[in-house]
Amino acid sequence: MIQASNIHKTYNDGKVKVHALRGIDVEIKEGEFTAIVGPSGSGKTTLLNIVGGLDTPTLGEVHISDTNIAQLSENELIDFRLNHIGFVFQSYNLIPVLTAKENVEFLMLLQKRDEEERNERTTKLLKAVGLEDQINKKPNEMSGGQQQRVAVARALASKPDFVLADEPTANLDSKSTANLLDIMLRLNEEENITFVFSTHDQRVIDRAKRVITVEDGKILSDETR
Amino acid sequence: MIFKIAFKNIWRNKLRSWTVIIAISLGIFGGLAVISTATGLSDMRQNNAIRTYVSHIQVHDSAYLKYSGLNDVITQEKGILSFIKKHPNTEGVSTRLRIESFIQTAGGTSGVILNGINPEDEKQVTNIAEKLQQGNFLKTYKRKPPILISEKLATKLNAKIKTTIQCSFTDANGLSATGVFKVVDIFSTSNSMYDEVNAFVRLEDLQAISSVYGSHEIAITLKDEEQVERFREELIAHFPEQHIASWRGIAPELGYADKMMDLVMSIFLVIIMLALAFGIVNTMLMAVLERKKELGMLISVGMNKRKVFWMIVWESIFLSLIAGPLGIVASYLAIQFFGTHGIDLSFAAEGLRSVGLESVIFPTLNANYYILISVLVVSTSILSCIYPALKALKLNPAETLRTA
Repeated sequence: MIQASNIHKTYNDGKVKVHALRGIDVEIKEGEFTAIVGPSGSGKTTLLNIVGGLDTPTLGEVHISDTNIAQLSENELIDFRLNHIGFVFQSYNLIPVLTAKENVEFLMLLQKRDEEERNERTTKLLKAVGLEDQINKKPNEMSGGQQQRVAVARALASKPDFVLADEPTANLDSKSTANLLDIMLRLNEEENITFVFSTHDQRVIDRAKRVITVEDGKILSDETR
Repeated sequence: MIFKIAFKNIWRNKLRSWTVIIAISLGIFGGLAVISTATGLSDMRQNNAIRTYVSHIQVHDSAYLKYSGLNDVITQEKGILSFIKKHPNTEGVSTRLRIESFIQTAGGTSGVILNGINPEDEKQVTNIAEKLQQGNFLKTYKRKPPILISEKLATKLNAKIKTTIQCSFTDANGLSATGVFKVVDIFSTSNSMYDEVNAFVRLEDLQAISSVYGSHEIAITLKDEEQVERFREELIAHFPEQHIASWRGIAPELGYADKMMDLVMSIFLVIIMLALAFGIVNTMLMAVLERKKELGMLISVGMNKRKVFWMIVWESIFLSLIAGPLGIVASYLAIQFFGTHGIDLSFAAEGLRSVGLESVIFPTLNANYYILISVLVVSTSILSCIYPALKALKLNPAETLRTA
């Protein structure tokens, strides 16, 4: 479970202070399929980064599975992210010199999992995202949609508690978006994987089970469908 | 996996990586080429000096070195020669009577040192016999005793083979003595300064004219030149009243040249390593800055900073592991080739002779230098990628993902 309490984030942009988040309280339970929506600059990516331990709040606390991540050292936080959080980025961010299989396997290598488990899980995940026939292709040999599916497989490879996806469909066409959402929803429903998105893509919002709307750094609405 | 990613990363921008690899290789090649040529020059100068006039060890009467007195001959000559000839490390030994003389022909005059030698012994110690125009190393030439002069002296005296030369000096009794010699051959060593002030006559001829019955100098060459100091110490132990010096003591400038060469080599190595370091810093810094977003992603998904650091370090190690052997192998092949065939610098022969060098240089390099260069290349590459690697560690993942 993710519990963010009274999250404030202020950036110093030169002499001007930018209040990106102004007291956010949010709780996300296991198995949710949640979209954090809002216009550009509303604070949704900042919220996602803070929840994912990529950024620290100016004020407030984030508890993930009973761990206050603000109290972790930099290295502990990196290890925490490796073992508890999966990330999917807007521009895929795969390692360009590695194949799809190697990209998925990468996090498990960091976790020092044995070869048999790595191979088994990589094959399973690439099959789950429909890329079992693309395992030896490098990112530049795949379409954007295929790359993002590899990114989803990679995010799940480390067996995280939840997956944070920052505008995962922003660079995808309609068909790829629909395909990616189908895969993520199936993983959510069949394997109870928790997904949290930041998005302003209506196609994602339409299929989300919970929609949290953020505007000017505050939660405007929180709707569960 | 870190190795694999690091190795693959260097081939992302093949042109840039190959440019760096070739630059490093050329740097190593250039440096080793200069060092081996300089070593070849230094060795040649040293060997020429030893084989032409210094030899490995010289024995003198202590007084002779102080006063250069004509009568200061070596007092224990027989005993010393006997000891030297029995020693297993002795290659050759030659006794010399050296007298400062005024030398003249119809065409000119000059001051020289007349070296009275036994030609057969001298052949074992110096290479003068190999530097003759006609190969007549003081063989008797009819009535007049033979003399060898250098090409340079011959020019100065306007002399040639068969020219009569008159030498004047003070004899053992302090009286004026004159010897008349016939030029039987002309030599030319690689040291024009030496050539200009030395002439050779037979020992018995010079002894007869000067009335000095003995010798001023015993020159020794050894089979194993590494044993020079040991041999010298043995001689000193047996003949403590004699002045016994190794070539380093006789011609300290040769030793200084050695030390100077070491210094020059060290400077070259520093220059090579600095060029290597700047090349790697530049390349790796560009590689880090270009991949900010990717490095941010790696840190975001859970790759700790120690691994990121080592990934960058390995990238530069791989670059140097490719470039280093390329440069070293190319240098080795070139040094082997030119070490056998020589580098012909005939166009500068006169200038080289004036400093005791021949016109064909044979580069040479101690094997230790290859090992040293290999170690330095790898350690420099590790050191020089620390800054770019630290730069990578300072990346804020959220910021790089947002802004890059």
